[in-house]
Amino acid sequence: MKTYFFLGKGGVGKTTIAASFGVGISIEKRSVLVVSLDPAHNLGDAFNLPLSNKIKKISDNLSAVEVDIEKMIKEYLNELAYKMKNTYRYLTTFNLDRYFDILRHSPGIEEYAVLEAIKRFIRLKEFDTIVFDTPPTGITIRVFAMPKLSLLWTDRLIKMRRRILDRRKMVENVKGRFEAKIEEETVVLTSDEKEDDVMNELVRYRSEMEELRNFFSSEDTIVDVVTMPEELALFETKRISESLSEFKIKLRTIFLNKVIQCKKPPEGIKGKIKEQEEVLKKMGEEFRGTQIKEIPLLEHSPRGTEELKELYNNYLT
Amino acid sequence: MTALLAIIGGAIYIIGYMVYGKRLEKEVVKADPNRPTPAVKLRDNVDYMPANKFVLYGHHFASIAGAGPIVGPALAVVWGWLPSILWIWFGNLFIGSVHDYLALMASVRYDGKSVQWISGKLMTPKTKYAFELFVYFALLLVIAAFMNVFGGLAAADPKIATASILFIIVAMIEGYIMYRTKMSFSAASIIGVILLVLAIVLGFQFPFIKIANIKTWYVIQFVYVIIAASLPVWILLQPRDYLNAYILWFGLIIGAIAALIAFRGFTWPAFTVFSPNLISGQPSPFWPTVPLIIACGALSGFHSIVASGTSSKQLDNELSGLLVGYGGMFTEGFLSTIVVLSIAAFGMTVLKEAGGDMAKLASPALIGKYGAGQIGATVGKVGIFTHSFGKLVNVIGIPEKLGVTFGGLWVSAFVLTTLDTSNRLARFAWGEIWEPVKKTSEGFYKFIANKWVGSIIAAALGMLIVWGGTLGSLWPGFAGANQMLASIAMITAAVWVRNVQKAKKAWQYAVLIPALFLWITVTVALIWYLFVAVPAIKAATTKYPVAIFTIIMIILNFILIGDFFSAFRKGPKPEAEVK
Amino acid sequence: MKKLSDLLGRFFGGIDEGLKEASVSLIEKELEETENVFALLTMGFLSGIPSPPTGLVLRLLPYMQREIYVMMLRSKNLDDVFAETAGTFDID
Repeated sequence: MKTYFFLGKGGVGKTTIAASFGVGISIEKRSVLVVSLDPAHNLGDAFNLPLSNKIKKISDNLSAVEVDIEKMIKEYLNELAYKMKNTYRYLTTFNLDRYFDILRHSPGIEEYAVLEAIKRFIRLKEFDTIVFDTPPTGITIRVFAMPKLSLLWTDRLIKMRRRILDRRKMVENVKGRFEAKIEEETVVLTSDEKEDDVMNELVRYRSEMEELRNFFSSEDTIVDVVTMPEELALFETKRISESLSEFKIKLRTIFLNKVIQCKKPPEGIKGKIKEQEEVLKKMGEEFRGTQIKEIPLLEHSPRGTEELKELYNNYLT
Repeated sequence: MTALLAIIGGAIYIIGYMVYGKRLEKEVVKADPNRPTPAVKLRDNVDYMPANKFVLYGHHFASIAGAGPIVGPALAVVWGWLPSILWIWFGNLFIGSVHDYLALMASVRYDGKSVQWISGKLMTPKTKYAFELFVYFALLLVIAAFMNVFGGLAAADPKIATASILFIIVAMIEGYIMYRTKMSFSAASIIGVILLVLAIVLGFQFPFIKIANIKTWYVIQFVYVIIAASLPVWILLQPRDYLNAYILWFGLIIGAIAALIAFRGFTWPAFTVFSPNLISGQPSPFWPTVPLIIACGALSGFHSIVASGTSSKQLDNELSGLLVGYGGMFTEGFLSTIVVLSIAAFGMTVLKEAGGDMAKLASPALIGKYGAGQIGATVGKVGIFTHSFGKLVNVIGIPEKLGVTFGGLWVSAFVLTTLDTSNRLARFAWGEIWEPVKKTSEGFYKFIANKWVGSIIAAALGMLIVWGGTLGSLWPGFAGANQMLASIAMITAAVWVRNVQKAKKAWQYAVLIPALFLWITVTVALIWYLFVAVPAIKAATTKYPVAIFTIIMIILNFILIGDFFSAFRKGPKPEAEVK
Repeated sequence: MKKLSDLLGRFFGGIDEGLKEASVSLIEKELEETENVFALLTMGFLSGIPSPPTGLVLRLLPYMQREIYVMMLRSKNLDDVFAETAGTFDID
């Protein structure tokens, strides 16, 4: 399975390019799914079709979906609340609702949901290619960072948990199995790594994160940036590239969109064209190892499968 | 005589318990078997868990008994055995045990909060901070004084030195088998006790650690403390703590049995002089300085920490408190009684055999003048106990020299444990003291509150203070700090009894008068110590730190009494509730 | 006779229990502290201290009833940490 991530800030044409790319390769490959993770859902506009949280088949080889991240977050928290209510029903002093409100707005909750969405889609067997239209750059970078960060934390917590289990074992050797009474229920506290729920969860999570980290850095994961020939855009692209290399992710292609191609430019935009040229030159120098594809500023934005296919054939291959 | 005094001592404690103790329970504490204790009310099986009262008594006693009830009385015999024993009996009965019991019960009434916390509530919050600041200094003095005790024992007697080192190894082995293997608790315990006996016997037979220089022992202890206090507790501290309890009970029981069947007369004078040369070699008047020598055994401030720190959270019923708090302290008093008895009966013989100048010990007055010096020069200030104890248990068939080694290990095992725990606590208190700095200079705070830095500083300061000092000059510093802690607790108790308990006037005074007597005695004693004993200390590295601590203690003592009077004058609150 | 043996049983049982307590009291204290730190770290989001990525927290929370329980208890006693710590150690 090949996976494509299209990064870029709002307004550069990221969604259009991603959609176009998806259409293009759906003709070459067997089955393609285009996923919009961006809360500002423009994918439906690009395809000129109403899209939803459910996967919609557009053609034999092409499907698309707009993920509702907010809804996902709510679902996760509800599931957590349900799980916790069952185990914590007797901790009446612990007012769960209040704490879930905090969690709902905690930093990282969006990234978590996006990561879960990515996990979910890459497991789908019926597609051999997935194209992701990503959320705003900041979130996406943090999503890519999450496996490494999670591993750091998980390793630390595993070490600490081991120490807890080790001390419990010592007390067990003397006093026998430890039974704690929490409110009316008796809970057996185990000292065995295999029996400890928390340890198991930590280990499970660790392997998942490791898988994800390997997935993001693999050859079959292609990360592209869509940007414009402007000075600020160049700086941002540089930053993205640096962040990505921190997580051992290679930037494959830079799609330079909305390039002004004008044979006889009017006075008003001559300055802009000059800036464009300089950016093009600098980009060539700074990003030697990366492919750069130019897409001209089109008269009207492509809409619908046919126009997207044309865009692909003309400029994206 | 030994039997007689042992019996009288036992009787005084038992009668005191039945008569005075029970009245305290009824009139002052107003113990109510139907009022749930925090162990029951707040039970969480984490900190709060009701324990069988005998179990708690045993545990509480093992926690409060250390080297203190042995070393203090051993030093005090220079006044003669009678004044010493009277202070151990009646100081304990009217002050010490009352202190322990009230600290325990007050804590029980405040949901297991510590006496320091209660003092903050009943008097002023700055009392609480003063308390914490003060505890740090007290801990440094503990480290210094105890380093001297062990150093003296180890330097004088290779058998004790060897047995002590072997015991450390035994404790580590015990730690491993008990906590790391699946061996049953009983089996592991039995092995531990056997190894312990082996350590004593081997130390006795093959005393290969022959280091006679006490200063070398200070350095060894310095290194030991830093390493020991940084180890996880299961490796050394916990198993040693556990095995110490066996040593304690065994020593107490055979000491008592031997005392009862020894039927020996006393060769030591009942009374020497009022002011024998004792503290820093200066003439030390019995009043007010006896609390600077006999602390634990008669009255100990550190007990209030134990009572309100853990024991109060495990008391199953208010009526059990008397056995645990009052009874525990009495048992310690009984232990100190045995110590005095053994020296009273055998001390003279010990000194003679050790080559003491009998001409200087020919009369009570002479003993007053030269006794401490002679003891120090021959068997050592703690040695007078270990050797007398050896002779005492010889009566029931234990070889004398083995008994001496046992006695020495008894003291040193507790000393080494106390050094370990004091260092850990000092590290913690150190971090707390520097808290205010956190806001202004975080980098500095991070450095100063680092675990290693705190540990090394505490051990180094302790070693610095002990370096040129003698037990006669250092012990009173430690005891003074201890008694001051007791003052704070006792005064807090007095305020509690009046303002919260609203006991009858007569009983308020029963607590207030000992509290004030204690305060006055300790203050006068500390002032005496500062102006008479401290200047006589030769080593500057000992003299100046001790002087500074003493001044701080005296100042804190006055702040305390000021707070106390204003709280006392405020009188009973209409509704004294714990939130 | 039965009463005597019953009494002896309880007496020695009490000693056994007491000894067992004595042999692990410090280790148990350390265990509590570590469990508390684990809980604090995992639930840092409640107190504004650095905490693991939210995803990890969400996954662990359902299994941490004991840790949360202990944390709730400890927060009650936070103003008397001195007693907690000092009382554990024997100094005399």
